[in-house]
Amino acid sequence: MSTDLLQLVEGRRIVVVAGAGGVGKTTVSAALALGLAARGARVAVVTIDPARRLAAALGIDALGDMPHRVDAARVEASGMAMLGTMDALQLDPRATFDRLVAREAPDEAARERILTNRIYRHLSSTAAGAQEFMAVERLHELHDSGDYDVVVLDTPPARNALDFLDAPERMTRFIEGRGLRLLLGPRGGAGRVGWRALQAGGSMVMSVLERLTGAELIGEIREFLLSFDGMYQGFSDRAAAVNQLLSSDDARFVVVTGPRPEPSAEAHALWDRLSTDHYPLGALVVNRVHPVPDGADDAPDGLEALLRGAGAPDPAGLARRATTVLEAARARARADRHAIDAVTIALHHPYVVTVPALESDPVEVAGIASITRALGAA
Amino acid sequence: MTGPPILDRRLVFVLGKGGAGKTTVASALALGLADAGKRTLLIEVASERRTEVLFGTLPAVGGVPQEVRPGLATLSIDSEKATEEYLARQLPMRPLVELMVRSRAFHQVAQAAPGLSELVTVGKIWDLATAVKGDAPVWDRIVVDAPATGHGIALLEVAGRIRELAGSGPIREQAEKIEQVIHHSAATGVLVVAIPEDLAVSEAVEAVAALRERDLPVAAAVMNAVRESAFMDADEAPLAAVASSIGGVAARAAATAGLADLMAARHDQAEIAALAIGTNVPVVSLPDVPDLRPGSGGLERLAAALMTDPAIVGGT
Repeated sequence: MSTDLLQLVEGRRIVVVAGAGGVGKTTVSAALALGLAARGARVAVVTIDPARRLAAALGIDALGDMPHRVDAARVEASGMAMLGTMDALQLDPRATFDRLVAREAPDEAARERILTNRIYRHLSSTAAGAQEFMAVERLHELHDSGDYDVVVLDTPPARNALDFLDAPERMTRFIEGRGLRLLLGPRGGAGRVGWRALQAGGSMVMSVLERLTGAELIGEIREFLLSFDGMYQGFSDRAAAVNQLLSSDDARFVVVTGPRPEPSAEAHALWDRLSTDHYPLGALVVNRVHPVPDGADDAPDGLEALLRGAGAPDPAGLARRATTVLEAARARARADRHAIDAVTIALHHPYVVTVPALESDPVEVAGIASITRALGAA
Repeated sequence: MTGPPILDRRLVFVLGKGGAGKTTVASALALGLADAGKRTLLIEVASERRTEVLFGTLPAVGGVPQEVRPGLATLSIDSEKATEEYLARQLPMRPLVELMVRSRAFHQVAQAAPGLSELVTVGKIWDLATAVKGDAPVWDRIVVDAPATGHGIALLEVAGRIRELAGSGPIREQAEKIEQVIHHSAATGVLVVAIPEDLAVSEAVEAVAALRERDLPVAAAVMNAVRESAFMDADEAPLAAVASSIGGVAARAAATAGLADLMAARHDQAEIAALAIGTNVPVVSLPDVPDLRPGSGGLERLAAALMTDPAIVGGT
């Protein structure tokens, strides 16, 4: 049960932290990155969250798209020796996408055409999948930079935690837009009958769409696709490279869950999917586990007398209430234990790391460091 | 915040970050409204079918509202399915719809067109909200379990954005109508859900600010999973003394547990205060109900708590 997560992922170049929303993925990512940095690695942690959570917890005023160094003195003040370095950054899908376009565009004019296109602006910032696509792209960028021994990725807070695995391919397929080009493109016109029939059907589809959305929109989509001409091979190669990296032995996936049944079910589905697709699984982290109160199942004998001695006005009533609360705490700890056992068996005994629930949220480095200690000896 | 209580608004959107209990709050509210005699439809947008788990019903077939309690139905909106329905109404010929739906190009345009899937979702909600049977509306109240914060706001502002983007055509006309209703606090209310954690509270505060900036009618914030304590301030000193005494292990554990219980409740009250100050809207507080399985009475307890709150039912 006392698996050392830091040891499990040490030496890997990529650690992906995945799980359902609200289980504390970001905190676990930060704690993991901190632990690896403390042990001597040059670490970057990529967080994806509009609420700048990690910034608050790490004492960095604002996380930008570029890496910010976490102050080693703050870490050491919490009693943890810092042998390596830790950089944190917040994913900016738009900025990452812009850099990707700048790299892949054949010339300045093509680059400008894309960056100013309305469809591109929508796609790169708000479209479903853009965030996920850019998360793995940013991961690849940092990995390639050579500045880091390991990059820790906190995955997007999607309800469907699996989205980020499919996003690069889906997005590339869209940009390639084979079917769409056929309908929009002015080229073609080879005299084959099948082709002409397809175009006839296509133009009907397009005219309906134009009627519904206005011709301007269709025009912009056409322009968007044309400006990507000749670039999709680069995108597609990039998506393949990312996927290869994530499937390699250099990567480890850590799935975070909570002890309640709902996140457990989502973690289970995620684990199965990763396993089926042969992604390298590291460990299951069960976060916010209620600790077992002292004293096994013993009755709190002598409590009333002790409380009377301590000057309680109604020692009998207070003892009764405290006993009830103790029993509830024991029941919660037992329920968590059962839930963890159940998921352990269901997943065929993965490495399981449990992190106790903190009394309050980790808004300081010290709080993150206490989670790091639960993940393994730093 | 001005505007009528939630009970009097026909359309309620429940927003919040993942894990805050948005679906739970939306379900409890819908249950409470139905118990108050309003024919209520609970709409789940992300097609996760979580409400069905809460109400213990089987998945509905064919995108039709399914009655889960007297006067309460649930529906899960799938944007692709809703797009097909929309086309079917716009186009005269069934074969043309079939052609569109099967065309890959169509799906790609639908994905690329800024906000088209959100618009279709909002359009579907609109249709349900305006549906009439005879002289009476089919649904008195509609509660929408919106996608997580960022996407939820995108859903609410899509009508306005489409109106700006689409130059002409039926989409623009519909977008204009929807925009008016969604921005009107007499008809629509937005609830923002948080849990008593610093980071969740700051997200909720940001969400309320973002909604205000877009002129969307925030009615209240809901603090979910608030821990209550069986102890009072006067209990703190004796509990602390016993917790650090040399008494029996279990007795000390009981005092420690009591102290933790008191601290947890205080912590949560402080978070409620922070949420109220940060958002400047009424905060509805809901107890921490660990068991929400159908038949446990958990959801009913939350519904009852909602339906006694002035921000929901009015009065003071």
